[in-house]
Amino acid sequence: MNCLDFRRRLLTDPLSGDEDLLSHEATCTTCAPFARDLRAREIRMRSLLQNVVPPPGLAERVSLAARFQQRAERRRQWWYSAAAGVLLAVGVSMASLFSTSIERTNVALAQSVINHIEDEASHLRAAHPIPTTRVNGVFERFGAELAADIGPVHFAAECLMRQRNGVHLVMPGRMGPVTVFFMPGEMADTTMPVASARFNGEIVPTHWGSIAVVGEAGEAVDGLGERLAAAVRWPDPVQAGVSVPVVGELLAAGLVTQQKNG
Amino acid sequence: MAKIRSEFDTLVHALAPELFRYAMGLCHNPHTAEDLVQETFLRGWRSRTDLRDSKAAKAWLYTILRNEHARLYERQRPEACDPSMLPDIPDHGYDTSAEAFVLRRALATLQADYRDPLLLQVIGGFSCREIGDILELNTNTVLTRLFRARKALRDLLTDDLQQEASL
Repeated sequence: MNCLDFRRRLLTDPLSGDEDLLSHEATCTTCAPFARDLRAREIRMRSLLQNVVPPPGLAERVSLAARFQQRAERRRQWWYSAAAGVLLAVGVSMASLFSTSIERTNVALAQSVINHIEDEASHLRAAHPIPTTRVNGVFERFGAELAADIGPVHFAAECLMRQRNGVHLVMPGRMGPVTVFFMPGEMADTTMPVASARFNGEIVPTHWGSIAVVGEAGEAVDGLGERLAAAVRWPDPVQAGVSVPVVGELLAAGLVTQQKNG
Repeated sequence: MAKIRSEFDTLVHALAPELFRYAMGLCHNPHTAEDLVQETFLRGWRSRTDLRDSKAAKAWLYTILRNEHARLYERQRPEACDPSMLPDIPDHGYDTSAEAFVLRRALATLQADYRDPLLLQVIGGFSCREIGDILELNTNTVLTRLFRARKALRDLLTDDLQQEASL
């Protein structure tokens, strides 16, 4: 080890007991005083830094602060748990309420369809096709139009279904008359059955509302709703700016009488 | 929980004094140093499961304290960082000699890159490898910085003591 190495290594740790360092120091008269001076300074520096006395009670204050923090954590955890419990309860209630509400709505819509047909059973007796222009005239009131032939229609009128107006058609079916309701704004998530002792059918969702297709028991209505939906070009209520008229407006305009004439 | 609590208290009593010294070496202000120590232990307590190994805990607490000090320094430059503004520290056992004053001033003047490994070695008693782990440096860099720190201190002290003597 030369003097440069010795000094370099000693400066990284002056109190090192490394044998190489000690043996160089013992044999080098130039480095020995340097080492003694460096060690003396190191001891003074260490003494200065290590003699700093911490304020009395520091450890106790730290422990106490940690205890307070622990209590705060527990309290916070309790509140989080309580809040989570409340949120869960509210969530479950809302979900239950929502699903019940959907169920009720669906049941109510299907029942309204049946009631409407039964209340206006006289339309089921219409036996002759009406002109397509007349059918189109009813759709035009909603900004809709027939885009394809939907077959013979025996009755067509604007009618009130629950709180909204729609189009009421009666068409011939295999088992008897088939009633079709175009119900804008009556949004349905999925196809729903409509059934009673006499009638059988379904409510088919569309992007603008839904279509109810109901025939006599045993009537095959599968797919009819979808075909009718495709055959009628119905404006998007938002895009077209066409709002579904509510009963008050139509009554005022004399265009409809509540469910009396369909 | 009581066992962890007891282990933590033991750790606090064993390490609070030297962490306080280390904090003093960094910030030179007893009040800030105490806050740093307290914050360090509270952070340690929040991650108490990592504190089970007391040997690792010591290095970890030093790292937290150093980071806390850096964060504090980012938020506000502590007034005590100007060596000429170093406060009088009335603690008992505190060396108030001219030589101690000069040495403290020299340490405060030292560049942080050099001062940090020096404090960890002198106060924490860490080896070069451990210092490297705490500062995220390789051992050779730590050795170089320790060498430069002492050389710079030696130069500063020589100049200062010559000035003191000439007064």
